[in-house]
Amino acid sequence: MKKVLGVTLGILTAIGGFVDIGDLVTNALVGARFGMHMAWVVVVGVIGICLYAEMCGRVVAMSGRPVFDLVRERLGPRTGLLTLVASFLVTLLTLIAEIGGVALALELASGVHYLLWMPLAAFAVWLVIWRVKFSRLEQVFGLLGLLLVVFAVALFKLGPDWGQLLHQATRPHPIGHEDWATYAYYGIALFGAAMTPYEVFFFSSGGVEEKWTRKDLVTARSNVFVGFPLGGLLSLAIMGCAAVLFLPAGIKVETLGQVALPVAVALGKLGLAIVLIGVFAATFGAALETALSCGYTIAQYRGWQWGKFVRPREASRFHVVIIVCLVLAMLTLLTAVDPVQVTEYSVVFAAVALPLTYLPILIVANDPDYVGQEKNGPVRNAVGLVYLALLTVASLAAIPLMIITKGGQ
Amino acid sequence: MPGTPGESGRVLHAQLHLLDRQLIDQADGHLAGKVDDVELDLDADPPVVAALITGRERITARRIVGIDTAVTVSVEDLDLDYYDDWVENHVIAKIPGARHAAE
Repeated sequence: MKKVLGVTLGILTAIGGFVDIGDLVTNALVGARFGMHMAWVVVVGVIGICLYAEMCGRVVAMSGRPVFDLVRERLGPRTGLLTLVASFLVTLLTLIAEIGGVALALELASGVHYLLWMPLAAFAVWLVIWRVKFSRLEQVFGLLGLLLVVFAVALFKLGPDWGQLLHQATRPHPIGHEDWATYAYYGIALFGAAMTPYEVFFFSSGGVEEKWTRKDLVTARSNVFVGFPLGGLLSLAIMGCAAVLFLPAGIKVETLGQVALPVAVALGKLGLAIVLIGVFAATFGAALETALSCGYTIAQYRGWQWGKFVRPREASRFHVVIIVCLVLAMLTLLTAVDPVQVTEYSVVFAAVALPLTYLPILIVANDPDYVGQEKNGPVRNAVGLVYLALLTVASLAAIPLMIITKGGQ
Repeated sequence: MPGTPGESGRVLHAQLHLLDRQLIDQADGHLAGKVDDVELDLDADPPVVAALITGRERITARRIVGIDTAVTVSVEDLDLDYYDDWVENHVIAKIPGARHAAE
């Protein structure tokens, strides 16, 4: 039983990290515009996050050191600081999007405007971080987030032409009046959503919170290889729903309500209730992860005491960072920016920050001082390098493509 | 730059094994900052590490208890927690529940 519960860390990270507001919006949006012609990006993203999260889990289990601890150690204070600034800003942007997502889910459920829910959502996130034990937090939101499986049920219920979906999935190119630049732009967004930096910050820091040791290597690996592929399947289901319902009708996805609509169409009110709880749990879980990650990155770069495994007063600067970030998120949302647009930008900026986050992980996973006998084999290193090249290309192309396509218009 | 054969007799690479490493307080296991700089005694032959610098504090080499993936030090009278204590006393301790572990 304990082992089963141990896997929930991976599931939470996958649901929260893989299916968070970024994935809900990006997958639905891409499904509506490109059908399944971009499904391969999700698969590439899942393999990439599995590869690197496994390295993180191994480093944590063998050395007790989380990712950002290593970023500064291996990149030096200057490049480390650049990485910190980039990753922190992206994580903060994601936090803003997640809080907005929680509030939007509450608006959909209640009819009360999201801006009224938003301060409550931010306060609830803080309260949970302040008072609830790490293991409980991940179990509750991990399990509730699993309700998003309803997207897969809805896809079956919609009775799509599976042959046609498969046909689309095997033809990776833009369709209709879409051009290659837009296709590449959304491909990078989807990739960024799949490999968001905070996933590895949270996963590795979570390993420390859970006091992983060498014995937990199996737990760490099963978390990665169960959790992330599961998240990937949910992503594909969300994309599939949009491809079936919105693509033929030529409808663009612009709101969170549209993301949930296919489930309501397929399964009625009960389906809608389940999907709203699932969206709430996934965005709330991801809000917790990103808020914690804001604290993790800065505290680990500076060497401050951090974590929920000590009393709040013993990690006071860590908790202050989290409070400040939540206040900033609240103020940003109060300007009435569209949370869905914030989400779209956050995944693209995530792609920009990726190479600097993943490079130190690859280096340290080869260092016997950290991982002892459990070094990367030649295959892992080769694939790791291929991904690093991929991440670099995506990172360099993201901003120019954003300008050329005017943010995917 | 060659490091010092410490008490364990291990030769360490000062930049690779010390610089930017996490410091841990031996007394309570708390995280206590990063090694911002390493001070070398160049008069010795070979040069040895004289002290680790973190923030405004100087940790003399004799306080280093262990060097692993983090550096454990005997903090004693050094005030490594100055800023953390300040934030604690002025902000965090004023919020209800700060003294209790999460449930």
